[in-house]
Amino acid sequence: MIIELREFTRVEGNGKAEIVVENGEVKDVRLKIVEGPRFFELLTLGRHYYDVPDLEARICAICYLSHSVASVLGIERAFGVEVSEEIQLLRELGLIGELLESHALHLYLLVAPDVFGYPDAIRMATKHGELVKEGLALKAFGNRIRELIGGREIHGINVKPGGFGRYPTVEELENIERESEALLRLARRAVRLFASLEPYGEKAEHFVATDGYLWGDKLISDENGSFHYMERIEERSLVYSFAKQSRYKGEPFFVGALPRLLLKAEMLTPTAKRLFEEHREKLVTGYVSYNNLAQAIELVYALERAGEIAKKLLDKGIKGENVPVEVKEGEGIGYVEAPRGVLIHHYLIDSEGKIAYSNIITPTALNHAMMEASLFKEARELYGEADEGALIQRLEETVRAFDPCISCSVHIVKL
Amino acid sequence: MMDKLKLAVFELTDCGGCALNILFLYEKLFDLLEFYEITEFHMATSLSEGSHYDVALVTGTVSSQRDLALLKEARNHSDYLIALGTCATHGSVQASVEGSIREKLKRVYGDEGNPMRALDSKPVVEYVAVDFALPGCPYDKNEVYQVLIDIAKGIEPVKKDYPVCVECKLNEYECVLVKKGLPCLGPITYGGCNAACIRSGLGCIGCRGPLPGEVNPASEYEILKDLGYDDDYIIRKFKTFARWEP
Repeated sequence: MIIELREFTRVEGNGKAEIVVENGEVKDVRLKIVEGPRFFELLTLGRHYYDVPDLEARICAICYLSHSVASVLGIERAFGVEVSEEIQLLRELGLIGELLESHALHLYLLVAPDVFGYPDAIRMATKHGELVKEGLALKAFGNRIRELIGGREIHGINVKPGGFGRYPTVEELENIERESEALLRLARRAVRLFASLEPYGEKAEHFVATDGYLWGDKLISDENGSFHYMERIEERSLVYSFAKQSRYKGEPFFVGALPRLLLKAEMLTPTAKRLFEEHREKLVTGYVSYNNLAQAIELVYALERAGEIAKKLLDKGIKGENVPVEVKEGEGIGYVEAPRGVLIHHYLIDSEGKIAYSNIITPTALNHAMMEASLFKEARELYGEADEGALIQRLEETVRAFDPCISCSVHIVKL
Repeated sequence: MMDKLKLAVFELTDCGGCALNILFLYEKLFDLLEFYEITEFHMATSLSEGSHYDVALVTGTVSSQRDLALLKEARNHSDYLIALGTCATHGSVQASVEGSIREKLKRVYGDEGNPMRALDSKPVVEYVAVDFALPGCPYDKNEVYQVLIDIAKGIEPVKKDYPVCVECKLNEYECVLVKKGLPCLGPITYGGCNAACIRSGLGCIGCRGPLPGEVNPASEYEILKDLGYDDDYIIRKFKTFARWEP
């Protein structure tokens, strides 16, 4: 018998699950990504490199800047371009804006209704209006940073190989420094709220992240040493899903906020590090539901780091100079931490500056096997014990903990 | 008090941005809720209680049988259907990927079958009649707010009829096409984004699709050729968001 669950709500994109039951026991769970295929890698083939980051941004609205930056990093590495510290800091600031916007959306509008027992944040607002407003304030601030660095709240085109179309002014950076400090109080409150969530889902055994906090040259894992993705991660197609599934040395693994904290705690800002230590015992158990608590701690990190970056740029003075890009044949990989985990853009570029090969692997595809393992565990425990409504609610919560971005996941290709 | 209008948001295959942009209205979203009750919006609510909608917003392209069934459902149960965003109005970038669906599936998934019943991506407007089309990748969120307020008040929403260049001039931005020689599709692209790309000192990428009527794509083509861009580059640029023939 196969129980087909309805499409998930309060997640980005379209997906659902099937529970396979034999002799009254759950034998398997399939996570079905039903969002149509979007073929982004085919879209970029033969395109001039300069237009590619703007096209790749369209993979996802919630994390468009992560896609633009990963694309730009891949292109720059292919050409051997080194950018200034100023450009690197501004890109990091943009990624921080995205982290704030995405985590605030996820925690306050999508997860918090589960905590308080509402179908959505709008209905939750009648009793918990203050909390919803706090979430919106954090989200709006994240979006203002995205607009400043990326050029628009969604699908901006300001991030380019070699630099930016437009650089922020002194006044804009001063505002960021001021506002990030003012909002820190809200983020600390979020940590208290999400620390109350109970553990569910599977315990992850393997964690993967980039070697820097929000981007890097390579990947790291719970084992020693850094690596390029193709050395340890394989992808395979599934007949029941438009998203491919990835495995780390043949095993399910976890990318996202919790893996970042566990692998890179030493890079955190002071208050975030203190909060991590305070909740360390819970977090190290590796339950996927603690990803929500990890996201709340990252809100604190993002606000502190945004202030640090703005101050650093203000102290040094903004130069606003792009680095010249010289076209040559090459290969490059961009690794970025999208809010929901590792994002990989890999290109080969020909001598005319056109894309000859393109591979993109998104966090939701990387987490696909871990999501199935978590759904399987919950379904096995609850099937026959809880009524169907409670079972569905828990399975939805389990998928939601990953903050999946289903739109992103449906065009994973090797050519 | 008057009954609130029932509002639905249906998301077909897309990046999620057009649905997300509604949430980015922030406090204005609560203003809209004075007039509307949201009865279907799966990104934002677990409730799904509608069988009839006064207004349905449909985002994304039709890229699978599932999308097509959902679109028909939305059309059959709504009085006023808005194709929202360039995917829904023109197909946007994902509909510009060339080749048949079988060939594309084979190249990407390494499988000649089509078990998930994928279709070649096409805009909503190619399958059903719509009452209003609001392009943009993404559309300007204030535009959708205005359209919904107009409908609530019984006014037919206004279609814009000017290119991006008009908003560029109103903002007094420097013309990047003439002054910097950047490929800018502003002269032939449907306005309404407040010239977002030119604000960044970069060329308009044409994400709102072609402005129908008096614009002159042939002349834009010649300008870009004179600037030294090759045919392949220009044609791909024209076709990216809206299958636009120069």
